Amino acid sequence: MRRVGILVAAVLFLGACGGAGGTGGTTNGAPKTGGTLKVAQETEINSLDPNTSGLVVEREIYYNMYDSLLGIDAKLNFVPELATRWTYTDDRTLVLTLRKDVKFQDGTDFNADAVKFNLERYMTSTDPAAARKSDLASVQSVEVQDPATAVLHLKRPDATLLAALVDRAGMILSPTAIKQLGANLAQTPTGAGSGPFEFVEWKRDDHLTLKRNANYWRKDRAGHALPYLDQLVYRPITDLNATLASLKTSDVDMARVVAGKDVDAVKADPNLVYRNTPSLGYGGFYLNRSAPPFNDPAKAKAVALAVDRAQILKNVLFNVGVVSYGPITAASWAFDPAEKIYDKPDPEKAKATATGFSFTLKTANTQDQIQIGQLIQAQLAKAGITVNLLPEDFGKLTLETRVQHQFQASLAGWSGRIDPDGNMYAFFHTGGSFNDGLYSNPQVDQLLEQGRATTDQAKRKPLYQEAQRIIVGDAAYVFTTDPATPQITSRKVQGFTLIPDGINRLAEVWKS
Amino acid sequence: MSTAAPTFIPAEEQIPALGEQQPAGLRRLLLDHPRILVGLLLLAILAVVALLAPWISPHNPIAVDADNARLPPGAGHLLGTDELGRDVLSRVFWGGRISLPVAFVAVGVGLVAGGLTGVLAGYRGGVTDLLLMRLVDAILAFPALILAIALVAALGPSLRNAMIAIGIVQIPVYARLTRAQVLQLKSLDFVTAARALGASPARIIGRHMLPNLLNPLIVQVSLSAAFGMLAEATLSFLGLSAPPPTPDWGFMISTGQSFLVNGDWWMAAGPGAAICLAVFGFNWLGDSLRDALDPRLHR
Amino acid sequence: MLEYIVRRLGLMVPTAFLVTVGVFLLIHLTPGDPATVILAESYTPEAAAQIHKDLGLDRPLPQQYALYLGRLLHGDLGRSVRNKLPVTQAIGERFPATLELGIAALLWSLLIAIPMGTLAALRRGRVLDVVASGLTVAGISVPNFVVGIMLILFFGLVLRVLPVGGFTALTESVPDNLSRLVMPAIALGTFGAASNMRFTRSSMIEVLNQDYIRTARAKGAGWWRVVNRHALKNALIPVVTIVGLQVGGILEGALVTETVFSWPGVGKLAVESIFAKDFPVVQGIVLMAALSFMLANLLVDLVYAWLDPRISYS
Repeated sequence: MRRVGILVAAVLFLGACGGAGGTGGTTNGAPKTGGTLKVAQETEINSLDPNTSGLVVEREIYYNMYDSLLGIDAKLNFVPELATRWTYTDDRTLVLTLRKDVKFQDGTDFNADAVKFNLERYMTSTDPAAARKSDLASVQSVEVQDPATAVLHLKRPDATLLAALVDRAGMILSPTAIKQLGANLAQTPTGAGSGPFEFVEWKRDDHLTLKRNANYWRKDRAGHALPYLDQLVYRPITDLNATLASLKTSDVDMARVVAGKDVDAVKADPNLVYRNTPSLGYGGFYLNRSAPPFNDPAKAKAVALAVDRAQILKNVLFNVGVVSYGPITAASWAFDPAEKIYDKPDPEKAKATATGFSFTLKTANTQDQIQIGQLIQAQLAKAGITVNLLPEDFGKLTLETRVQHQFQASLAGWSGRIDPDGNMYAFFHTGGSFNDGLYSNPQVDQLLEQGRATTDQAKRKPLYQEAQRIIVGDAAYVFTTDPATPQITSRKVQGFTLIPDGINRLAEVWKS
Repeated sequence: MSTAAPTFIPAEEQIPALGEQQPAGLRRLLLDHPRILVGLLLLAILAVVALLAPWISPHNPIAVDADNARLPPGAGHLLGTDELGRDVLSRVFWGGRISLPVAFVAVGVGLVAGGLTGVLAGYRGGVTDLLLMRLVDAILAFPALILAIALVAALGPSLRNAMIAIGIVQIPVYARLTRAQVLQLKSLDFVTAARALGASPARIIGRHMLPNLLNPLIVQVSLSAAFGMLAEATLSFLGLSAPPPTPDWGFMISTGQSFLVNGDWWMAAGPGAAICLAVFGFNWLGDSLRDALDPRLHR
Repeated sequence: MLEYIVRRLGLMVPTAFLVTVGVFLLIHLTPGDPATVILAESYTPEAAAQIHKDLGLDRPLPQQYALYLGRLLHGDLGRSVRNKLPVTQAIGERFPATLELGIAALLWSLLIAIPMGTLAALRRGRVLDVVASGLTVAGISVPNFVVGIMLILFFGLVLRVLPVGGFTALTESVPDNLSRLVMPAIALGTFGAASNMRFTRSSMIEVLNQDYIRTARAKGAGWWRVVNRHALKNALIPVVTIVGLQVGGILEGALVTETVFSWPGVGKLAVESIFAKDFPVVQGIVLMAALSFMLANLLVDLVYAWLDPRISYS
């Protein structure tokens, strides 16, 4: 069934990893302690071990169970979490000052030894699914200076490292628990975290329960213990219609994904609260530059000219999101509002550039992707370009496009990363790991390399903006829409702040 | 072994006619069994609509009209429009051009491959029979729908592969049916006589056996066309058949399903009714043909 | 009889062997790489190569098959590539939900089929029979996802009396479990109801034509008494066997129904696994389905032979 395709694809397409300008908490009166919050997840998770995690939904649970070294705020600024200070003493030495008052849920002390143990575990893991190695590829070694100071020695300057430490590569688990649990860590991480909630049980495809960590180190502004809730119950509901129905019948209190078509109904429902935040990710399609027809740059440009982005936004995304102008979205500090190279569709100009050719557009086998494909098909027909659609199983699509490069065009978006490097380098640098279309431009390569090696944000910004202009102008990838990350809660949910990476942190949430 | 494993169609709940028997005259048949006519008529109407779709469709079935998406049924669009503004009625008409041929091609694959297997196994007997029937048993051991889905997943989703997969899963029904018939016919007097007179196997099968196989096969073809349509609808419901924007009933239903919660019932209703009517037509025809052609029911 | 059983079992061995070859080839000829699923956004060629090595995918096909068969004979179906659970456990966890749905669907189908089929047989040729046979043909003609959608639309969205999908364990809340069970059970059971009804009818007609029934009738016994005392039991023998086959093929219909209703059973697992390229789980489910199908077939044949002495086996 295609619905499963939706799940797998949703992880990439919907599961966004960021945004900007989170709305403040909706708080009525004093926080109330106690109660159970039920959260719908768009797919079942695979692993509770950050080391082998590949799904966005997993992060949702992790952030309520584990703490990272660094946090982010609503404006994507780094804020203290397990580390209170982070300083580059030179561009290859990162000094982390750690909290002294933190204990893991199993009673183990959090300290620099734990940091070293965890980071080294991520870096040297031999698990085939180990997914954190590349996040920490620039780290040479971790040094314990004293219990409250860990020093990361780098192989090369890496402007993207701090962002990685906010995510799973920066999550520190109890070394005792890791050693004791072994392979069971991925299934039953009892006591492994230091976060607001601790693991109780996971019944696959049914529910996952976390309970309040009575010894959580954070307090609210009034000095009151956090978290407020007694219990979190996550339920995987893979069908978006069922998710919506569950929200309406109060089967769940919170969901992260809603179909665009249902947004109006959700907004109109007096029992539900809808929020959304611009995503760091983008949608669009690759053009394979190594083979006909798109080894001809004119044909690639013609396609980019003829696409009607606003129509896709309106008809498939139901205006949840914005038109995409490039890999740096409005949520990013590097965003360039002036860059609108391909704005309105111009089939006439496209025709004058190149016309009368045809190509096959591969898409994931999900409803929204197929709808987008059909719209593109109709739009390009106006410029005399024939599109054949080929919806495929997501795994097959990835294999053919990412590994074998056997395609002409492929519709595949990106969930986005906090740092612009994470949205560009792997995709548009020659030989990059996600450079499905085999795009290569020495100028872009140089700009992206410079961006990586520069730590000053103000200096990096123009580098990325210039790279973006070249990438978009070349139609290295046809950007269509930047989705928004939606968030729906029951009216009873209070104190909720939508963090711009779209991940729900529930320590300060309570139920009225 | 008298009981075959179940298929979607309890086709073999009665093993049909035996013995020398002339195919009944069509007119006689229809006069005696007006139910057959009902089925034929229904299918004829659907076939004509599908054939004439290019001329009778009010709109282009694949023309996207984004500004008129999800319009309820009304004067301009009798069955409303879908999520991309395409006319549902026109898509239902054109959809028949996909679903009906699929059923026939798939049945053809099953009939030819299965029929030949069955005749060969039944006529040759011995090791040939043993080997062929183990192969058939192995196919039969897979639940038909799971096998079809797995086959399409393996071959890649396309209309052609859907037809092949549905055809393959029908092989056992035909193989077993023809084999059983051939086995029984082989021992009957008129066949033994023909053999004794030195008739060649081809002649015996062609002249003496085929006419007798015809009745049960006609019934089975009709029933498995119904199965073929159901299976194709299921495959395309799962997104494993013709690629969009092809108007395909099953896929239209699965798209329409997700819009039910928004109150847009018409997107699924049109194709849903069409598929039910078509499958009903084949089942009805098969059912009434069996009534008519099976003498055991005429006591 | 004993000889027949032994022979049937003997014939099952090569068939089962062919089934394992079929299952193996089917999955391994499928394009698509499980490594892409496992690694998702973390994909690198090196990590993929490591996964291929771990799963044995880098070896020649015959060798992979030999390994597969060897493990199979030890009851080891491998581990899911998605969540690393043993396949037996992955299927085992989902099985109760499918079993519950299957039993409910079967009960629903028999509840409709036996009384309606009997009545239709008794009123053969009359209005009731014609209506009933029309209904049976309709029942086997409506795809179960269409039944499901109609139920969702009517009971879930218009009347709002039943939840439109999902699952609650029986152990957690019985009423909640049952309210979620109703619609999928009806959707899944409709086809069976129609075909069982047709079967009951024709079987009943056959029995009613038998001499002993005619004799009982001639002696002045009322229809109800005849049916109740004599006919129904005999007429249900073939029905029992077809029901047995339906149980063997339970997964078939559950595939789509479970998907439509987000019912976390084996059918939904099968569909998920096919789309996720989770080779071992798909292999396990298809193998399980095929073997239970074969076993049900055998049992039904045996029961049939035992119940109906007219059938002889060679």
